[in-house]
Amino acid sequence: MRNGLQEWVKGYVTVTVRGKRFERFLNMAVRAGMRIWNIRRVGTEVCRCDIVIAEFPRLRPLLKETGCRVHVVERHGFPFWLVRLRRRAGLAVGAVLFLFGLYMLSSFVWSVEVTGTRNMSPQEVIAAAEQIGIKEGAWKPKLKEPLVLRKELQKLLPEAEWVGVTIQGTRVILQVVEKDKPAKPPVTGPRNLVAKKRAVIHTILPEAGQSRVAVNQLVEKGQVLISGIIGNEQRQQIVSAKGSVKGEVWYVSNVSVPLANTHFRLTGEKQYQHHLLIGPYAVQIWPLNRQEFAQYESEEKRYVPEYAGYKSPIGWKRVIQSEVVPTKRELTVEEATEQAKRFARADVLRLAGKDAVIREEKVLHATTENGKVYVSIHFSVIEEIAVEEPILGVSQPPANGGGGNS
Amino acid sequence: MRRWGRRLRQMAGGVLDLPQDVVLEVPRITMIGHLQMYIENHRGVLQFSENELRLLLTNGQLLVFGEQLVIRAILPEEVLLEGRIGGVKFLENP
Repeated sequence: MRNGLQEWVKGYVTVTVRGKRFERFLNMAVRAGMRIWNIRRVGTEVCRCDIVIAEFPRLRPLLKETGCRVHVVERHGFPFWLVRLRRRAGLAVGAVLFLFGLYMLSSFVWSVEVTGTRNMSPQEVIAAAEQIGIKEGAWKPKLKEPLVLRKELQKLLPEAEWVGVTIQGTRVILQVVEKDKPAKPPVTGPRNLVAKKRAVIHTILPEAGQSRVAVNQLVEKGQVLISGIIGNEQRQQIVSAKGSVKGEVWYVSNVSVPLANTHFRLTGEKQYQHHLLIGPYAVQIWPLNRQEFAQYESEEKRYVPEYAGYKSPIGWKRVIQSEVVPTKRELTVEEATEQAKRFARADVLRLAGKDAVIREEKVLHATTENGKVYVSIHFSVIEEIAVEEPILGVSQPPANGGGGNS
Repeated sequence: MRRWGRRLRQMAGGVLDLPQDVVLEVPRITMIGHLQMYIENHRGVLQFSENELRLLLTNGQLLVFGEQLVIRAILPEEVLLEGRIGGVKFLENP
């Protein structure tokens, strides 16, 4: 029925109407489509009402007809507000100046931030940025496009793999991604390479040092394979021996495999149980009557809300019980022997190291006794046998990073 | 003739289940407690003071008594009255 905002924008006045025939005046005004509101009687012949200023001149003929007199008491709304503002020009100028100042200040760079540096110092990045104009107090419209700045900064910082320039309001964020340099090999002291097992040498590849053994030679544990002492009697030098020596090592592995074994199989029957955790207690909530399995595997998961190291005393626990049934399996002697061989191979490779290769395997003997198969297998394995042994009683050679002459 | 028209309208209202104020030219009054009153279908203000509002209807007058009455808004057929309303009275033309 009324629209307060519209009235305010158009402007309205509060008037007093003095006259005996106010009601008639009111009816005529309303019928003429004028908007009049907040009508109240102030005195016996005086009434007060609000009216939009655009309609105020239209009251004139009505007033003449009814013999009423009108007097403006208050003025409201935007047009009057503007008039008042004109009188107080300083305020308006101040408001405009404030907005202008805010705009001007926000068009400067007030801080430069550097993120992502690890080995480079942020000062270095800031100094480079200053060269292309990014500094505190720089005027933003004078700066180039961030993409152009990025390329220029990249040229100035060869150590950086990538540089990002982001302007966020009055803040410039320089994001640096450094290049990954290859890791330096650790400096090693003078050393020999010795055998870690009794073996027959298969291959020998010295990188630094002097080889002391030949291929197909039997070496004992602890025997020097590649010596760190090089040269002859007159001219000697001590280096950090380096190289690869592979040898053939023999193992005998005894394995027993039972012919009959039981294992458990999931039936697919599952039961979910939900518990409410209160402090140290768990209260089962669902299901109400639980199904009992003869044998089952259970899996538990707890949900306890946690925040900043504080644990909530109330939590939730879910348990899944999966029913299992035992099944028996009988193996034939051949199957059991195969399995025993598999076990033995895995066992030997575990002993021999990761890059070992089985060269030969021989079943020494296999027997079946008390429902078990006993197998004894001989393995011949090619594996790395060199192990470092520092040369003691010698001072560190000057700046020898594991390389040197062989 | 007029009586016939009125009876026809009344019958139409009964058969079609229309609200009375649509069919008959009577006011529809909505009151919110004693604080506010919304009157539709009036025919003009006869008298208005702090304690009384007298409205013209098609077939009589409507009297509203109260204290500190203010007409918040007025349109050719609608009045929104506020104040402490004490009573409403219908005066029917004979």
